[in-house]
Amino acid sequence: MLCQGDAMHNEAEARMEGATSGQARSKPEWAGARKKVLLVDDSNTVLLMERTLLSRSYDVVCAKDGHEGVEKALAEKPDLILMDVVMPRMDGIEAVRRLRSDPETRHIPVIMVTTRGELGSVENCYESGCNDYVTKPFSAVELLAKVKSCLGD
Amino acid sequence: MTKNDVPGLAEKALSSAERHGRSLKVANQKLAELVASLRDQKQRLVEYSQSAAPPEAGGKVEAPMDSGPTERTLAAELALAREALQQHQQKQDRLRDHLAEIESENRRLCDDYVAVQEQNAALVGLYAAIERLHGALDRNEVFTAIQEIVVNVVGSEELALFDLTPDGRRLAPAHTFGIDADRLKEIAVGSGAVGRAAVEGRVYVAGEDGAKAFPEDPHLTACIPLKLGDRVTGALAIYRLLDHKPALTDFDRELFALLERHAALALHFRPPERPGAR
Repeated sequence: MLCQGDAMHNEAEARMEGATSGQARSKPEWAGARKKVLLVDDSNTVLLMERTLLSRSYDVVCAKDGHEGVEKALAEKPDLILMDVVMPRMDGIEAVRRLRSDPETRHIPVIMVTTRGELGSVENCYESGCNDYVTKPFSAVELLAKVKSCLGD
Repeated sequence: MTKNDVPGLAEKALSSAERHGRSLKVANQKLAELVASLRDQKQRLVEYSQSAAPPEAGGKVEAPMDSGPTERTLAAELALAREALQQHQQKQDRLRDHLAEIESENRRLCDDYVAVQEQNAALVGLYAAIERLHGALDRNEVFTAIQEIVVNVVGSEELALFDLTPDGRRLAPAHTFGIDADRLKEIAVGSGAVGRAAVEGRVYVAGEDGAKAFPEDPHLTACIPLKLGDRVTGALAIYRLLDHKPALTDFDRELFALLERHAALALHFRPPERPGAR
């Protein structure tokens, strides 16, 4: 499920599944076991882009805000989390703090994906406990490189 | 490019990147084997040359006048060894040339891989934009989609969307984000950058055509007419870019071309609800 309660996005996901079924969904022969990445963002556009970029190499789970992100992190035990900062209900900074305070999720690496590129915001991200950050609009090459680096691929 | 082509293109680009990845792995493995083989040969040659007697000055070994069968055999063996050494050196040179070729090919493949990744990223952005615009169920969702595209893909948190009034003479603000909506007024078609984009039907970008910025609105970065075929139906004005986004890129211009056609189409099929309708 891409994003619960979002009919349009579920339809988009269904199309994506169709577009990436068969060969595209199978694991490349040189790759190891598929790792799981949790995407947390309130923008369907960003989720769709991140999902399209990552779903070939990783299993992808999505959440629409920080609160849902923390819940899915506990339930899904992802290997990596890409976290937006400005979101409704719970922002990314608070979500990372909660993840870091829970023994079950404190080890999961988090990359902040944010439109806030100024120094103060970046410092806030790191203080909350994130491992890295990417500014939006993101370079796909940079994002993939940081994802691989965090996952040790 | 049609909407249905984009996932296919993205898929092709992904497959191509995967192939390149495989080729790189194979090339690297061959490279490692060659290097190991060269090292092995070098070691054997060193051991061989250390165990054999050094040749005399001039490189030619002659049996002494009164040499017996043992000396003659040794001289013959030494000559054979030198010939073998020469052959090995020639082979080593060939392998070194081959290694250089492989390294050059490796660099080319790496460059190709990065180019394919960048192309793939652009296709993913265009695909997401089309999917969001045409996946919207009502007009407000189209507005949200356009806003998300401008914020997250272009990199600006200030935008205004204008509809052409029914008489075709003015552009009325229909949706704004990040700017004071009260500041925006209806714009006469042909007036200012937004009005000119509407009357000329082409994208205006600050800094292009010799203009440093739009004098009537210095914060305006780009203005995109929304068109159904050749008919302009509105305009999208994008103001200040995010601080960490220094300038528009070629990809942004591709995205503007897409928005020009597809945002207009998405809005056309989701007209405003009339008061009291339903």
